[in-house]
Amino acid sequence: MSGGAYRLLPHTADLLVEVRAPDFPSLCARSAEAVFSLLTDRRRVRRSERRSLDFASEPPEELLLSVLRGSLLLFSLDRFLVREADANMEGGGLALAVAGEPMDAGRHSICREIKAVTAHALSVKDGPSGFVARFVLDV
Amino acid sequence: MRFEDVSLTKISETAWEIPRTGGMLVPGLVFASPEMMEDIVRDQALRQVINVAHLPGILHRSIGMPDIHWGYGFPIGGVAAMDVDEGVISPGGVGYDINCGVRLMRSNLTMAALRPRLPELVAALHREVPSGVGSTGFVRLDRKELEKVLSGGSRWAVSAGYASEGDAEFTESGGRLPGADPDAVSEVAKKRGFDQLGTLGAGNHFLEIDEVVEIYCPEAASAFGLFRGQAVFFVHSGSRGLGYQVCDDYLDVMAAYTRRERLDVPDRQLACAHIASEEGRRYLCGLAAAANYAFANRQLLAHQLRETVQRALPLAPRDAGIRTVYDVGHNNAKFETHEVDGRPRNVLVHRKGATRAFPPGHPELPPAYRGVGQPVFIPGDMGRSSYVLAGAPEAMRLSFGSACHGAGRRMSRTAARQSMKGRSVFAEMAKRDVLVACTSRKVLAEEIPEAYKDVGAVVDVVDRAGIARKVARLKPAAVVKG
Repeated sequence: MSGGAYRLLPHTADLLVEVRAPDFPSLCARSAEAVFSLLTDRRRVRRSERRSLDFASEPPEELLLSVLRGSLLLFSLDRFLVREADANMEGGGLALAVAGEPMDAGRHSICREIKAVTAHALSVKDGPSGFVARFVLDV
Repeated sequence: MRFEDVSLTKISETAWEIPRTGGMLVPGLVFASPEMMEDIVRDQALRQVINVAHLPGILHRSIGMPDIHWGYGFPIGGVAAMDVDEGVISPGGVGYDINCGVRLMRSNLTMAALRPRLPELVAALHREVPSGVGSTGFVRLDRKELEKVLSGGSRWAVSAGYASEGDAEFTESGGRLPGADPDAVSEVAKKRGFDQLGTLGAGNHFLEIDEVVEIYCPEAASAFGLFRGQAVFFVHSGSRGLGYQVCDDYLDVMAAYTRRERLDVPDRQLACAHIASEEGRRYLCGLAAAANYAFANRQLLAHQLRETVQRALPLAPRDAGIRTVYDVGHNNAKFETHEVDGRPRNVLVHRKGATRAFPPGHPELPPAYRGVGQPVFIPGDMGRSSYVLAGAPEAMRLSFGSACHGAGRRMSRTAARQSMKGRSVFAEMAKRDVLVACTSRKVLAEEIPEAYKDVGAVVDVVDRAGIARKVARLKPAAVVKG
């Protein structure tokens, strides 16, 4: 495990990420955090601003893809870095609340460019020990 | 030969066929030596060649280049040509970084003369040419100007004073794809594009200073203006966040189309639409716009590089003589004329991690290169070699005028980083006489030479297969990465 919540599985060119969580909303929150752990050192990101994202009801894999894309856009569009994320199912959809701050080049270093979250090999599985997600980030 | 459930038939020392089975509409064809095939079968790339062979309207073969490796939807190093009436277009056959590509610039300088100045030159390039995540370009675009970039590509750069007519002439398609429609690019994509024009990005994108160390074909080298001992410059970048967003946006559109039309595709990342459909035509308009952004982006990077070298040395433009040899993409889908079943047909060629490689005499080439073929650039890893090739006649018969685009990764990024623990990339590259400047050390560790296949072996395959012939070998002297 890397950072305690996700691990990287072998993939030739891109990043194949595996995330585990006890329930589906937590799986989405931990997955969003994993994206930011792969972008920057999250320990250096302050929780000074909160943002929320709402996602409509979709099958779990589609919903996770939407959450991951939406989270990555926070950085790609607004240079907003996430320290932590929390998620709840609301009215069939999912509400993602994140805490973080805009990137400050003096304090934050960005490890890599994540071009996109791909739908290739994306999976969400519900097992006896909880939920497991796998997704590929194009880097 | 079989690998898991994939059957492979060796048809020559450089080519393998995957026979048609199940829902495949055409066979697969993979260019590789027997030794390289041992690496290729380790990931999912061959399965992806098979998946692409299921796409409606695919013609002749689903093709894999010798640098093939696991992508999403199409493999990286995948080529597929589609019938324009019955066939489909798939964003997964182009990739996120639309029209990512390589430009080579020659100079009047020798590496012997330049080498003592390399440290200051590399520092200047790293400082002056925006690289790394979050970097912004020196040009600020408003909406109107961005739309001119999306429509005009390199032609916009000429009119804005950042390119010469020669730069545009020696760029694939003159640096401007027709049919671009800024309205086919979403507001989110445009927002991502406003401040990134003229930025290198990160990952495997780079600026590189190389020495021409070997000439294989003096005639083509002379036509390209290359000579032994010469200092030359590579630029590798693409359409930045704007292109990634166009791909993401249209994957959703294509997924809806695929469901609605009940297209049977074996991987959701192969979501597609018929070329003639409204969705297909719209994506082509957005794709052309993003491709034009990529042409303009590499042109601005080349402009910055040229200005920085001239200022740092210092040299007058005429004395430095830094001119574009050629600029060619390796992630695109383009309408081209190819002979299919004995007659010329207009087809749509997807190239994902594959370079267009038109042979001598092709009417789309600049007159100066028509006698020798289109320049094809194959950057290797940052420590060994890169190659200049020229498109050869067999490319039109075997690979829809396509060749490979690089060495191809053989090691995952995690494995590469782990193998570098306790080692210094800078020191190891210095031992190879290569200076490195980078923004992210983590990315640098992922780009170590052993993470890539031997580019010499990859190039030998395309040369022996007759799809592109070797013209010159280059050795890296300095690399700037994001």
